[in-house]
Amino acid sequence: MNYIPHTKEDVTLMLNEIGASSIDELIENFKPCLTSPLKLPEPMNEMQLVSYFSELAGKNKIFKYFVGAGAYDHYSPAVVDHLIKRGEFMTAYTPYQPEASQGMLQAMYEFQSFICLLTGMDVSNASLYDGASALAEAVLLSSSYTKKRHVFVDNGLNPSYYEVLKTYCNGSDLEFTNTIDENTCCVISQNPDFYGNIKDQRPLVEKAHHNKALFITCINEPTSLALLKPPGEYGSDIVVGEGQSFGIPLSFGGPYLGFLAVKNFLLKKIPGRIVGMTEDKNGKKGFVLTLQAREQFIRRERATSNITTNQALLALAATIYLATVGRKGLVDVAKNSYYKAHLLYEKLGKIGFKGLNEKYFYNEFCVKTPKAASKIFSQLLEQKIVGGLVVDDDKIIVCCTEKNSTADINAYLEALK
Amino acid sequence: MKLIFEYEQQPTEHVEQIQTQLDLPSELIRDSLPLPNVNEIDIVRHYTNLSKKNFGIDNNLYPLGSCTMKYNPKVSEELARLKGFASIHPRSPVEYSQGSLEVIWELQEALKEITGMDDVSIQPAAGSQCELLGIMIAKRHFENKNEKRTKVIIPDSSHGTNPASVAMCKLETITVCSDSRGNMDFNEVKKKISPDVALVMVTNPNTLGLYEENLLEIKDLAHQNGTLMYCDGANMNALLGISKPKEQGFDMMHLNLHKTFATPHGGGGPGAGALAVRAFLSDYLLVPRITKEDGKFQLDYKKEKSVGKVHSFYGNFGILVRALCYIRIWGNQIRHVSENAVLNANYLFAKIRDSYHVPYDRRCAHEFVVSAKNIPNGGTIDIAKRILDYGFHPPTVYFPLIVEEALMIEPTETESKETLDKYAQVLVNIAKELREKPEIVKDAPHTEPSRLDEVKAARQPNLRWSPQ
Repeated sequence: MNYIPHTKEDVTLMLNEIGASSIDELIENFKPCLTSPLKLPEPMNEMQLVSYFSELAGKNKIFKYFVGAGAYDHYSPAVVDHLIKRGEFMTAYTPYQPEASQGMLQAMYEFQSFICLLTGMDVSNASLYDGASALAEAVLLSSSYTKKRHVFVDNGLNPSYYEVLKTYCNGSDLEFTNTIDENTCCVISQNPDFYGNIKDQRPLVEKAHHNKALFITCINEPTSLALLKPPGEYGSDIVVGEGQSFGIPLSFGGPYLGFLAVKNFLLKKIPGRIVGMTEDKNGKKGFVLTLQAREQFIRRERATSNITTNQALLALAATIYLATVGRKGLVDVAKNSYYKAHLLYEKLGKIGFKGLNEKYFYNEFCVKTPKAASKIFSQLLEQKIVGGLVVDDDKIIVCCTEKNSTADINAYLEALK
Repeated sequence: MKLIFEYEQQPTEHVEQIQTQLDLPSELIRDSLPLPNVNEIDIVRHYTNLSKKNFGIDNNLYPLGSCTMKYNPKVSEELARLKGFASIHPRSPVEYSQGSLEVIWELQEALKEITGMDDVSIQPAAGSQCELLGIMIAKRHFENKNEKRTKVIIPDSSHGTNPASVAMCKLETITVCSDSRGNMDFNEVKKKISPDVALVMVTNPNTLGLYEENLLEIKDLAHQNGTLMYCDGANMNALLGISKPKEQGFDMMHLNLHKTFATPHGGGGPGAGALAVRAFLSDYLLVPRITKEDGKFQLDYKKEKSVGKVHSFYGNFGILVRALCYIRIWGNQIRHVSENAVLNANYLFAKIRDSYHVPYDRRCAHEFVVSAKNIPNGGTIDIAKRILDYGFHPPTVYFPLIVEEALMIEPTETESKETLDKYAQVLVNIAKELREKPEIVKDAPHTEPSRLDEVKAARQPNLRWSPQ
């Protein structure tokens, strides 16, 4: 299989034009030059390729998921994937030439608007890699804005996010502390948190602001925003999170969609691409990448971040998802997820599981298991159910979405009998 | 075109409707959700019409230098969407995600062979995250040796990400100028190298599309000084099967998998990165590591020296599937990719070089840089806009920064001679137009919108729609 269109004759004509006798002559100064072919398998044609990858995909087993913990099995309407596959979107790159990129630019402007509407913030960028690195970028932003170096993390942050944050903070010489004081650059709180708790953030926001620290809300499950108070309304300065729930396949953890939104006063500090509406030379409305003086290709070592490639196509997927389900559908998704989780929670309560959530939860909850959590997990696996995330010998975090039917919930309970 | 927020219709139903009371106090719930309701037919038309205002490789040649805009095989899209790949939850137990782990394993093995390196991590989401990781690894490596090294040497032709990544790790960038042949100036490196230099970051071939002729001498100098050599592998499309970066003397390198291995760039992303290292740096790579024992794959989190993790899960898996597709398609013949990328770049260069200024008169690698500085009546921006009138995408413009009025052109291996001939003709024509009837170029593109006001966009930011 071969994606090079040249005939032998073409190659001869091209070499003549260049003034070279062979392709080897063009590469002779690439040193040290390999003398034998790479030790890779024989090339595959398309049919062989399909069979090779189908076999690999078949080695993965897709079960019923009652697990979230940063990735959520929501339904994605068919139009989402159908539309993002259009080559004009999919095979473009960063819209450096706005005249040839109005489609993607407008879609990114719509994405930024959706994120602002959901989070209650003023400004959003056009995506970052994923939720964890978006959080890390938010912390770097906080440190740069406040000129302080201490980071406070509230209980209940997704441990994987914490690991990523630690990596970035070590790299940037920032420190974690257990108290909030005048040296704190930011206070991070996940809502709903890793255990599913919906928190009243106001006391913590007040404490952060009292110490001139920025308050960062981190969101793992953004469908919760259809129901919950937008973080912008309870005083968050930065909202970051993972947008995978919005129509993006689970795909073994990536590619997903990081988002980052801020209040106006942080506009000039935001990392990544931002799209703005403007006019052309004839006064016609149009869109461009803007505020680029923040970015690495202009500012180099003084840039707000090193990010270049982002997750544009997935931001497009999320935009189409949100437009497609709309106001009404997103509330249905959220209420279904909420309802199913509460139904399962109630029923587990009747067979010896003890709820560990503080007060309110959305679509994830943590329970103490009546016997070893690993045992429960295996019992469920036998019935092709991934029953949650085991977080301790006797604790499991369980998740539901609109995809978990009442029949699935009954099967879950049945498996534990 | 109107915004999606300007529609209000009866929506199409996709999930079950539900009447349920929320057991939540009013201070925790929102008052309103100001999203639109749109029926599916207008969703499809809205985004289909937007797509028609966008230009991708599927439309025509898109020779953005340093971005490797090659044809993205459609079969890879289908294969990444196989249910076993697309629907697997990252928290699935390893015994039920062996297929995913095997994809990652096989990709890592192939990348080791391609780069010559001993170990590799595919967790980074893109090249810039690899750079960050590489610098963190260098920092940790020297900390463990009780050496304080705070500087990184970078050529002035480098990508902006290099110094930006250095700054994120609180190190200092030492810039080295390019010499008259477009190489990193060896004498300057010699002057600036000192015991506190941790890394020399080199793009090879560099952003001028030129092979770094002093590389082996620079490598020797760096290594004698205890300094590590880092390769920005954005331009690996010139080297596949031709030369291995480890043999060029690099200790670490990154690959932009979306560039070299033909995964769609998605209008800006997603991409995927891989950081490959020599054995002595292997323990610093990200967790979890994938291990293979008796044919079974496992995830290993217990790596004490690891610098940690940079991704919520294991990396941009869907992109890794596509990258492995491209590698399997070519297999041990992958050298043809780079040979033809170099052939195409040299051919296009030969066809247009008499019409433009050539800042470094050398045979190019997979891309080349020319300048519009000697063309009267207009600059690079005008040429770029005029190219759009001819139905092509312009090259990267005004980069690298060291070339005035730069046009950085990377045609890639997947373009036919006929397409290259047409593009060359367009570039030659525009140079002629600027001499003979410059207005037509200065007014370009003759499309709508044309020449958007970027100053206004930055001074009066309008970055979102708001409800009335």
